[in-house]
Amino acid sequence: MSAYYEFQLPSKILSGDEALEHIPHELEGLGARRPLLLSDEGLERAGMVKTVLAALAQGGLAPAEVFCHIPPDSSIGVVNDIAGRYRAAGCDSLIAVGGGSVIDTAKGVGMVLAQAGEDLLSQSGCEVLPRGEHVPFVAVPTTAGTGSEATIVAVVANPAEKVKLEFLSYHLLPDVAVLDPRMTETLPPRITASTGFDALVHAIEAATCLQRNPVSDAFAEKAMEQIVQNLPTAVRNGRDKQARMAMANGSLLAGAAFSNSMVGLVHAIGHALGGVCQVAHGDAMTILLPAVMKYNLSACAQRYGELLLPLGGPALYASTPARLRGERAIQCLVELRRQLSALTGLPTTLEATGKVSKGDFTAVATTALNDGAIIVNPVEADLEDIIGILEEVWA
Amino acid sequence: MANRSFQMCMQCATCSMVSTCLCRALKFLSTRDSKIKAEAVKWPEGKTLRLEIPGARGFTVTGTRAGFKTLHPSTPGDVTIRFKSPADAFRVFTGQLSVAQAYAQHRFTLRGSMGLAMPFVRCVDIVEGYLFPAFMARRILKRLPKKEVSTARVYGAVLFGR
Repeated sequence: MSAYYEFQLPSKILSGDEALEHIPHELEGLGARRPLLLSDEGLERAGMVKTVLAALAQGGLAPAEVFCHIPPDSSIGVVNDIAGRYRAAGCDSLIAVGGGSVIDTAKGVGMVLAQAGEDLLSQSGCEVLPRGEHVPFVAVPTTAGTGSEATIVAVVANPAEKVKLEFLSYHLLPDVAVLDPRMTETLPPRITASTGFDALVHAIEAATCLQRNPVSDAFAEKAMEQIVQNLPTAVRNGRDKQARMAMANGSLLAGAAFSNSMVGLVHAIGHALGGVCQVAHGDAMTILLPAVMKYNLSACAQRYGELLLPLGGPALYASTPARLRGERAIQCLVELRRQLSALTGLPTTLEATGKVSKGDFTAVATTALNDGAIIVNPVEADLEDIIGILEEVWA
Repeated sequence: MANRSFQMCMQCATCSMVSTCLCRALKFLSTRDSKIKAEAVKWPEGKTLRLEIPGARGFTVTGTRAGFKTLHPSTPGDVTIRFKSPADAFRVFTGQLSVAQAYAQHRFTLRGSMGLAMPFVRCVDIVEGYLFPAFMARRILKRLPKKEVSTARVYGAVLFGR
């Protein structure tokens, strides 16, 4: 447990039926009337944007502009372009409807606008930005995975240098996070499984890394319980509103946890697999989690043992001898993964992704070493250690 | 109040001294220790990293094929690590906290790319393995680095500035 910690979650959370319809009221309270609504083409085609626009209309609000061309891996150029559109249309607030890329793009736009800047590139780093001008910001997640609606992190690509830039600032948090069951009910089972496992990894890494603290632990453990108990149901029956809401809440809780305690080696390697081999983030998390937990077991056995309670439930926790609880917690996750894989075809090995070859391992490991997430992992990992983990999850 | 300000002056003086030692050790080891040497060689050409300590002397470094080089202290950094207070830097420079622990405890800010800061962090961990007695290094580092040069030679380089 970190000897000193900081924790911030100022976002107001609207969670449940008709949460979308409350956005106009919230924006009014924030002094905004001309929002720029951001989303992506897939969500526009799926009718999600229409649902949000209809909900806003009920409160007598129409966005000053709607932009639905945010790509899956948003870039500095996209952010700067949208900031220009915001100014040109005379907007006064942001509504982001989407997954991690859309919400992170909106955070980037908010940063450029708040600092009265033109280029996001000049603002990368950790805790270096002053608040600047307040740009009211509402985040509506459409997956239960990234938790971006509750994090101080934004990841935006810099194509010129072929890297993903991380921005960490408490001023990136949305004013309002909206969890409405309509936003995730049509998410396909495969994506539900993959993004849900991503949220679970957020919670587990937040609960075990060097920056963990009592508040983030509370958020992380509740997130694990919600996700483990509801992910298989949400995958089997996407229309199960209770499971969908539990997943949305679990993802938000996990986001708030890792936003204040960070993530570790699973994410460092996962980001590298994404950057070097284009492995989907959730798939990488699913493949890596048990192997990295085993790698960290020497330093985390007791903590993993405590996590058996939210991961396996009270009966299993009570019936497992204390010295075996850590390994049993890992087995629970392997079992959950097996179940999800059987239901959706979620890959459990790198080979099964079809995107990685063993020849990529050195490049992946080298990239992972320079990922900020590795710094708070409880166990040191060098190039050979990471290659060892990649070998283990290969097949 | 006077005690407090004396304590802060002492902390600033210690930080200035240790930051000079750290810098000298880094330069020396970047020509002797294979892991630090490799980080210097791979360092993106012309990129600079600046370490700032409020009220104390920091430094700016860059990596080259010939090892790490210090630049004039006023040289701006492509990446700047700035401790939030002299007390935060003091904890790191006196072996009470590792860089990773200091990061986890929000003891410094980072402006610029994290990817460029990470090789520097790895180098500092190795340098600390040489400079701090084993019992201190073991307490703060996740893994003790393997020494490739005798500690006496590193201390010699630090004392004589070579």
